[in-house]
Amino acid sequence: MSKIEFMQGNTACAEGALAAGCNFFGGYPITPSTEIAEHMARRLPKKDGVFIQMEDEIASIAAVIGASWTGARAMTATSGPGFSLMMENIGYAVMTETPCVIVNIQRGGPSTGQPTMGAQGDMLQCRFGSHGDYSTIALCPSSAQEMYDLTVKAFNLADRFRLPVFVMSDEVIAHTRERITIPDHVEIVPRRPLEKGTLPFHGGDDGVPGFPEFGRGHGVHVTGLTHDERGYPEATDPHIHETLVRRLVSKVESARHDIADYEVVNPDAETVFVTYGPPTRTVKQVMHDHPDDNVGHLHLRIVWPFPERLLKIFTNAKTFIVPEMNMGQIVREVERHTCLPVIRVPKLGGELHTPDELHKLLEARP
Amino acid sequence: MTFLDWYREDRLPHIYCTGCGNGTVINCTLEAVEQMGWAVDDTVFISGIGCSSRAPGYIKTDSLHTTHGRALAFATGVKLANPRLNVVVFTGDGDLAAIGGNHFIHACRRNVDLTVVCMNNMIYGMTGGQGSPCTPVGAISTTTPYGAAEPVFDLSELAVTAGANYVARWTSYHVKELTKAVKVGLETPGFSFIEALTQCPTAYGRRNKLRQVSDMINYLRTNVILIQKTQRMRERGEAVPKDKIPVGEFVRRNRPAMGVPK
Amino acid sequence: MKLVIDESRCKGCNLCTMVCPYHIFQEGDRLNERGIIVPKLDRPERCPNCRLQKLYGRRLCGACALICPDQAIRWEEEKPYEKHKVVIEY
Repeated sequence: MSKIEFMQGNTACAEGALAAGCNFFGGYPITPSTEIAEHMARRLPKKDGVFIQMEDEIASIAAVIGASWTGARAMTATSGPGFSLMMENIGYAVMTETPCVIVNIQRGGPSTGQPTMGAQGDMLQCRFGSHGDYSTIALCPSSAQEMYDLTVKAFNLADRFRLPVFVMSDEVIAHTRERITIPDHVEIVPRRPLEKGTLPFHGGDDGVPGFPEFGRGHGVHVTGLTHDERGYPEATDPHIHETLVRRLVSKVESARHDIADYEVVNPDAETVFVTYGPPTRTVKQVMHDHPDDNVGHLHLRIVWPFPERLLKIFTNAKTFIVPEMNMGQIVREVERHTCLPVIRVPKLGGELHTPDELHKLLEARP
Repeated sequence: MTFLDWYREDRLPHIYCTGCGNGTVINCTLEAVEQMGWAVDDTVFISGIGCSSRAPGYIKTDSLHTTHGRALAFATGVKLANPRLNVVVFTGDGDLAAIGGNHFIHACRRNVDLTVVCMNNMIYGMTGGQGSPCTPVGAISTTTPYGAAEPVFDLSELAVTAGANYVARWTSYHVKELTKAVKVGLETPGFSFIEALTQCPTAYGRRNKLRQVSDMINYLRTNVILIQKTQRMRERGEAVPKDKIPVGEFVRRNRPAMGVPK
Repeated sequence: MKLVIDESRCKGCNLCTMVCPYHIFQEGDRLNERGIIVPKLDRPERCPNCRLQKLYGRRLCGACALICPDQAIRWEEEKPYEKHKVVIEY
């Protein structure tokens, strides 16, 4: 029987993680993600999991990666300043193909910024923040229910692609208490173990190798140096580096339309809103207050890898409007993939777009 | 089985220079692990970045070669998630004391059930010979061309103060004592820290008139003093020579430990 | 058991010559084809590990193998009826 609960986004995220089988949390307190750590500290020891508050965010992500190699489903939660600190080790997780989940409750930046106000300013950072070429997956919840569901999905995607996956939420959704429905059954897709006789870094048909868990006799050497398919460092061979980096990028990019998670309203509209995260709620309110068949909405739940083919669903589109709580980050992807005019609606300061603002924009159309 | 059987034969000969102390310390660690009777499948070696940290790539077990200075944080994650695994950490003086200083003191404070073997060659060897927090005062390195001016970190005293359960220091000349110290560290639950002063003839020795391997080994051999002797000297009221480095077992105690398998 | 120096690994650092309590390892005098002067063995039958490992069932001494940074020293079984000198203690 599914249950109805009333909880804030952070708690929903933690509950979703526990439902997905998370059994290791290594974190450091930072507003506005601290509630996730506190909830995990209370719940994990009772479920035979491990909670540890590490000395800083760098140590947190390091402990999460280490735990993941022993087979645990591990996660951490942080915000802007901690996210910047974690970047080197995120690159390490990408290079070593370690599955883990990193929740970033975005807050006003740059630097210490606005610790208690929401923003979406880290969206490009989660894709390009670490050095080198790589690709990654980012999910953006727009409600407490989505915090629960998308966290479960994040664990499954992390295990499927052997990758660190980001849940890019923000202070507004994280601290809003809403009604959520806890399903009685969540689908858990565990990681594929490495078969004996296969190489630990040899991609299968989908480019993803099996996972050689520590302690099972695989004797795997995991390194951040460029490595060949056995895992041995070969840092000076150009061909090996090219093969490795291309596989790391293509294993995600080639599946971007397969994993796309989105919602479409009025596909025949001429003016289309493209949103992710909190502006979704504003747009839904506008469309509820002023129903208009000529206004459509594309709500992205998975933002990276960007599924550009979805823009083509709107065959009659003449304009795209992209409201974001930043100076324009994902709108660059929309602009890149369409020749139609794209209107940016940046909003800084921590407050959401109001329905009136967006409605005035629609009225001002020629 | 001897300690030689723990090496990945297809990866030898390794990249270490002629006469490098790291090869010796790895031999001693593997001999201690072999004497403990651990299985290859249950042991994990974790390391940071540097010459010392290339070691796990040559050992048959599961291993994690992580980012600079963060080996202890990764090791905490591995050990707490699966306490049945035997975790040994290889690190260097720069990796542990400079960039990894914070993780070092917290791992000692938490007393996680790990064994850390620090190969202290008093220099940043892999990157060409820059000064490290353990470079002796007055020594020449590429970033201290007029002689190192900063005071030296005493890693063993730091570990004792931060709360490690077992701390010992030996040099790569004292192979038998080093092996025994590592073995005691592996047996002791809680955080065990073994510092091994090693020779780096290429990066340190060449710039400090100790280019010959035998010269550097003699330097290490003559500039150490047994810690029991310093204690006796203090009891008798004699002045302890300041230029000699104490070696031996610093502390062995039973503070509560984390990650010990039940 | 007999002492063997693996010439494909030895780099001629001569650390073994400094630790052997019986001074069995001496500095060599000839270059091999890798350009290394490999140490030579002076009456290796004096090595207690060679003579007594079978009797005691464990490694005796072994400081040379431990200190060799290149893992070039090991003990091997002698072939049957291989000629070797024996030291008699009395």
